Amino acid sequence: MRDRAFELLLAVTAAVFFYLIGHIFLATPPAQLAAGGIAQKILYFHAPAGYAMYLSGVACGVASALYLLRPSDRRDAWARAGAECAVAFGLMMLVSGPLWGKKAWGVYWTWDPRLTTTLLSVLIYVAIVVLRAFSGGGDAERRFAAALGVLGTVNLPIIHYSVRLWGGNHPTVITGQGGGLKHPAMVQSLVLGFVAMTLLAILLLVLRARVAFASSRLVRLEEAAAARETLDS
Amino acid sequence: MQGTQTTTPSERSTEFAPVEGGPETTSAEALLVAAYLLMWAILLTFVLLSWLRQKRLDRRVAELERALGTARS
Repeated sequence: MRDRAFELLLAVTAAVFFYLIGHIFLATPPAQLAAGGIAQKILYFHAPAGYAMYLSGVACGVASALYLLRPSDRRDAWARAGAECAVAFGLMMLVSGPLWGKKAWGVYWTWDPRLTTTLLSVLIYVAIVVLRAFSGGGDAERRFAAALGVLGTVNLPIIHYSVRLWGGNHPTVITGQGGGLKHPAMVQSLVLGFVAMTLLAILLLVLRARVAFASSRLVRLEEAAAARETLDS
Repeated sequence: MQGTQTTTPSERSTEFAPVEGGPETTSAEALLVAAYLLMWAILLTFVLLSWLRQKRLDRRVAELERALGTARS
């Protein structure tokens, strides 16, 4: 992505976030007490953060699969960036959900199918990030991380459909049949939340992929410089 | 008035029993603020980590440039 496009995307994302926060707190009414009352406003960041985790996970999975087919530094960089962003957005979701759950369900955590599968998925992405951070960037490590990246992505549809397949406490308000938000401002906040998090996910993915790709190029340059130094001496 | 009721030493509690199924008393406002603060903290930490990684890269580029400069001279 060109620098100018990146800067424009950053400005648009910031503007959408400013508007979204104002809209959530000034224009959107709280929900019924059984859904957590004012704590239900966590939804407008919580669900989009989950969606951003899916996006990052898909980026990681696709880049990982392509890397396994034909390895390249660029594909590896995107796989790594996808895993890192999936961890960040996954943590945002896993931290905000229990705080809402405390008010709506009376407990911070329950081993509900969606919560459990989400935790598993985030742990897979954490494993990729830890593996890449501590085991170096050798071909075997990259391939192993790519295989984990594909596995993490396979788990994503299971998270999404777990509520319908196995039930549990997690709400099913947002469905393909329209959704159960009973006020136009609630719908607007959620749609804006999805737009804002999508833009943020794209920004962070591009940023991290660029850093990861620059890091790979630098390693290759260092190796070439070391080899030349050995030849010269 | 209930708020100003005092207990005599003979009435004070001598044990604590758990209450199950009582009303949820945690403040929804506090939970909402905590959720938003923590989400932004995670996001900012992620950006900070990216910046630190970029700085490490810059340092390594500078070292490489120095090494190449030494090799040329």
